[in-house]
Order: sequence, then C-alpha cells, then structure tokens
Amino acid sequence: MKNVDIERLKGIVGEKNIKYNEADLYIYGSDASVHQAMPSVVLKPTTIEQIQEIMRYANSELIPVIPRGAASGMTGQAVPIEGGIILDMKQMNEILEINLEDIYCRVQPGVVDDDLNKVLKSYGVFYPVAPASSRIATIGGEIANNASGVRSVKYGAVRDSVLGMKVVMANGDLLNLGAKTRVEASGYQLDRLMVGSEGTLGIVVEATLKFVPIPKFRCLGVAKFNTLDEAGNTISAIMSSGAQPSMVELMDNVAITAVNKAQNLGLPDVEAVLLFEADGMVKEAVDYEIDKIKKICEKNNGFGIELSYDAKERTRIFLGRKKLFPSLSKYKEGYACTALADDMAVPYSKMAETARKIHEIADRNNVIMSAYGHCGSGCMHTKILMNPTKKSQWNDARKAISEIYEHVQSVNGTTSAEHGIGLSKAPAFKKEKFDSLNAMRAIKKALDPNNILNPLKMQDAPDDWVTATKLRYTVES
Amino acid sequence: MKFKRLEKWRDDLNICIRCGYCYEQCHLYKVTSWETDTPRSKLILLYGMINGEIEPSEYIANKIFECFYCKRCDTNCSAGVSITEIFTDARADFIDAGFDVDGTTSKTNDDLCSRCGTCVYICKHEARSIDKENKKILIDKAKCQSCGCCEAACPSSAAYIVDGWEVSEDEMSEKVTKFLKGVVV
Repeated sequence: MKNVDIERLKGIVGEKNIKYNEADLYIYGSDASVHQAMPSVVLKPTTIEQIQEIMRYANSELIPVIPRGAASGMTGQAVPIEGGIILDMKQMNEILEINLEDIYCRVQPGVVDDDLNKVLKSYGVFYPVAPASSRIATIGGEIANNASGVRSVKYGAVRDSVLGMKVVMANGDLLNLGAKTRVEASGYQLDRLMVGSEGTLGIVVEATLKFVPIPKFRCLGVAKFNTLDEAGNTISAIMSSGAQPSMVELMDNVAITAVNKAQNLGLPDVEAVLLFEADGMVKEAVDYEIDKIKKICEKNNGFGIELSYDAKERTRIFLGRKKLFPSLSKYKEGYACTALADDMAVPYSKMAETARKIHEIADRNNVIMSAYGHCGSGCMHTKILMNPTKKSQWNDARKAISEIYEHVQSVNGTTSAEHGIGLSKAPAFKKEKFDSLNAMRAIKKALDPNNILNPLKMQDAPDDWVTATKLRYTVES
Repeated sequence: MKFKRLEKWRDDLNICIRCGYCYEQCHLYKVTSWETDTPRSKLILLYGMINGEIEPSEYIANKIFECFYCKRCDTNCSAGVSITEIFTDARADFIDAGFDVDGTTSKTNDDLCSRCGTCVYICKHEARSIDKENKKILIDKAKCQSCGCCEAACPSSAAYIVDGWEVSEDEMSEKVTKFLKGVVV
C-alpha cells in the first residue's frame, strides 16, 4: 500500500476532515458488494479547490484516489483495491440553483436523491431517476454508475437526466462539460462519457440535471399468472404494443414465497405477478394506458387484476415488492442475500426465457435465485442466496454467475442495467465488450495517464471476481 | 476479548448487506457526516472483531457506546437485522472485557447528586440503580439508551450525558438548521 503524506493532506482539507485510524479505514474498505480492501486515508473535501489540490498531489505521488458517495454500490466500485485516498463526497451537499425557467437544477455531488426531490416537490417537479436506494444515494454516485430505477421504463436512466457537469481530472484540471440547454451537438459528449465511468475518469464536483413535472394521476395495477412464461410474454407484449407504462415490475414465485414467509403479507401463491403503473397529467390518458395494459395481461392469461389510483392503496399493493429485498435475506437460515449477478438487462422478447433459465442455473449449482425487477426497461434483478461462510458455495456462485452471463450474452442482453461493473461483474463485462476494451483502455490512459483514478475496475479489473479482493465474509477454508 | 453475547448475532452480521439504508435518519451521522458514525459502520466493526480481522480497542468501544437508540436504523434495515439489540449485546461484551468508555451514555456527578433516586425511577431502560451500601447511583452502560430522561428529571442537575462526539453545540445547530431547510423550504 502506498504511503501518503498525512500532514500535507491535513493542510489541504483541515484536521477535522481526515481519518486514518485503523478502525475507520476498515469501515471505508467496504460497500454493499462482497468485496473489501483497506484505503490508506479518508478525506472529506468541502470545496472544488481542495479536490484539485488533492488530485495534483496524488498524481505527482502516484497514489490511487477513489471517490465515494453513499457506498451503496453492489459491485465494489468504491472498494479501494490498491489502497490510496478515499474521497468521501457526502459533505459537498448543497443544492446550488433551481432554475424553473430553463428547467434545470445545479447540485453538488453529495446531494442525496430524495433530499433533492423533497426540495423540487415544492415547485411541482421531480428528478425522476429514483433508484431503490434514493434515500441515501448521492447524485455523484448515481452519475458514476448511470443509475436508474422502477420508473426508468418511462423516464430513463441518469444519462437521460444529466445536462452537464463540472469534473476534476486526474491532473487537477477543472472541466465544464455539457451545457445548460436541452440539446447539444458541440463536439464530443464528454459529460456522457463521465456517466457510468465509476470514478475512473474524473471526479464529478457539480452536476446540472433536468427535471420533469410531477404527474397529477397515477394508477397501479397488479396481475397474477400461473406460469412464469406467461408473465414474461406479457412484459414483451406490453412493451411492443406501444403502451407507455411508468412501471412494469415482475416478481416470481421465489420472490412471492420469500415475502410471504418473512412479512406474512398473504400474497397469492402463484408462479408470478406483474405490477404495472401509468401516470400523467390527465386521468383519461392514464385510463387509456392502464386499460390497454390490462387487456394485454388478460390476453396472456393474467387474472385477479387489481387497479388503484388511491395513494394509500397503491402503497399497500406495492408493499410486497418493496419488502422483497429484506424478505430474500430471511429466506433460509444460514443463507445470506449476496449482491451478485444482480441486474442484467435482456431484450423484452427474452424476458420469460431468461427468468426460467435463472432458476435452472440456480438449481444445478446449489444456490437459490429469484427473478424480479424493472422488467419494463429490460432489467432483470436477481440475488444469489447462499451460505457465504462456505468455500464450496463461492465456487457454486462463480459457476452459476458464469452460466447466467453466458445466457444473457447469447440473447443479446447486457451485463449491467443499473448497478455498474466495478469488480464483481468485470469478468462478464470484459467478455461482452471484448471488441471495445482497447478503446476503453486508450480513453482511460489519455485522461488518467498515471492510472490513479479508481484503478483496477471495469475493463482493468482482475479476471476472477472471487479473488479480486478479500471477501467481506469470513469464509471457512 | 470474548464475544459471549455477540457470537449469537454472527448470522445477522452475515445477512447485513451493507446497503447503508440504516444511516438515512441516523442522528449521529447527520451531525458528524462521517460514515464511521453510522449503524452500518458499527456492524462492520463488530463483524471484523468477531472474525479476528481487527483488534477490539477503546476507539471501537466508544463508537459502539455512541447511539441514541431512536431505532430508525432497525426500521430502515433492508435485511431485517436487529441493529440496536446487537449494539446492546456488544456493549455488555465490551464491559466484561474491561473497557470503560462513555460514548453517549449518561453519567452522574456524585458531588451534585442528592441520591434522591428520581433518575432510577424515571429510567425506563432499567439502566440506573442505587448502591445502598456506598450511597451512589450505579449506571449499567449496556442498558443506557441515552434518552436523556435522567438528565431532564434530575432536580440537582447531577445526571448528564457526555458530549462524546466532537461536535460543538453551534455546529450541531448549524447542521440541523441546514438539514431542516432542505426538508421544509
């Protein structure tokens, strides 16, 4: 691990904004992934100038720098694989401007998604990205991972909401990227390049985001299915029909059983349920969309369809989906819900086949998997449930994951829909993007010649994710 | 150090997925803005300790004794982990191992204390008792949930909570105001 000049860094950020106690470093070596590695020091910068100075120092001394938001990432993006400096960006959390006339806001990277929306709500608008972690996810982290969420089917991912940003580069230079206009064709779209770059190309220190009006009407529906295939085919039929849902979510039987077991919600014991939502400023328009989707569900043998415009009732219907994640954690004693192979995307027409394949692969590799997710945008979430203390289970997981991504790539799907690549998805990512890895490495080399920005991630990550770092679980030998 | 009580939480520490939802409404984190003060971080430290990856220390013990037991972390936990119950058991193990730290637990100024016992009766966590032989108020720091009732009820201003987290009253006020402005506007 590279030595850092603590006194010099104290001089930059101040005594109160630095941590280097062993216990603190141990904490900052972890995120929501299975990976863990200790940094050398943690800094909490409060100004752009401080970040520029830190980068100039790190670049001259060849010290890795890893920007960190809420560290809710699931693939090890914020884990300092080679040690170095963690930049905890959460202190830079000011909303700098809300411009209603030109429909954008400017925020610092540490602003939390929900906090931004609380403020925007009073103006009747919202920033629609809404990942499940929006309660803690920072805008900087969302940009770094090109996050999205339940309503991405209508409102898109972060890349669709970012107009521009300020970025500190590896050598300390400050760049203004993008524009404050709705469209821009002024050369390379470098702001877009930064979205999803996971802190490997620059440090986002300010973002310009667009927002949209809050819809006056929302209707949520739920349909039950006796086979996973029928539910999967319905998703494909809804999306190819020209309907414009604001949400289409799938829960399979493992998911339903998990929720019933852990939360006692009494969900119907069927093979799959679909949750669908439409929103708009005019009720008739919402009715039109919902009616269209309902008919498609019925045509594909969906039954027991419930619809509701009422906010409380919608919350009740959605509770099962919302409680799914904690329920999976309690699915089987001694098993943990690990963030692995968790967010692939596949074409709509391959949704049913992929859900079925996930179960086949889990069964033959001694792990438990559930198929659910924001299927309206092609995103299939899974989690691997296994005993993380057993070495054999990591071999099982490694094999299952490899088979799953092999299938995903065979149906023209992609490795990650919204959680990013980091370390644990890098092997599959490298296989999928084999023909563009050299171009990615050339871009990285041009912008960060000393390879100090979040090194050994994505295209440069180790080939075996299990041994890429120490695992956060203690595994019996 | 022996983890007599913590050991039973090993599975729960495994199922914590470290998502961070527990710190969304954590008072300590809102004030210090350091992840090291979040419930997630405390669980990470305890996990590291029982698995022999980090040594128990006064610094870590103090972190575990810093909590106001508002239990919002328990409510927000996406894996259903009983976070504050784990803290209480960890505290008892630290005490057994001889760590004497305060964190945010309450104390008594013996010079001011009139031994009236008000704090004992008002403490709903049964953390306070009277040592009749030595005529002193005893505090079980594992049980104290830093609710502040003893401090508010003490007629002699003898019961108090140690300000152990390096933030001045002015700084706290500034941060709370900033937070509320963001929420209310």
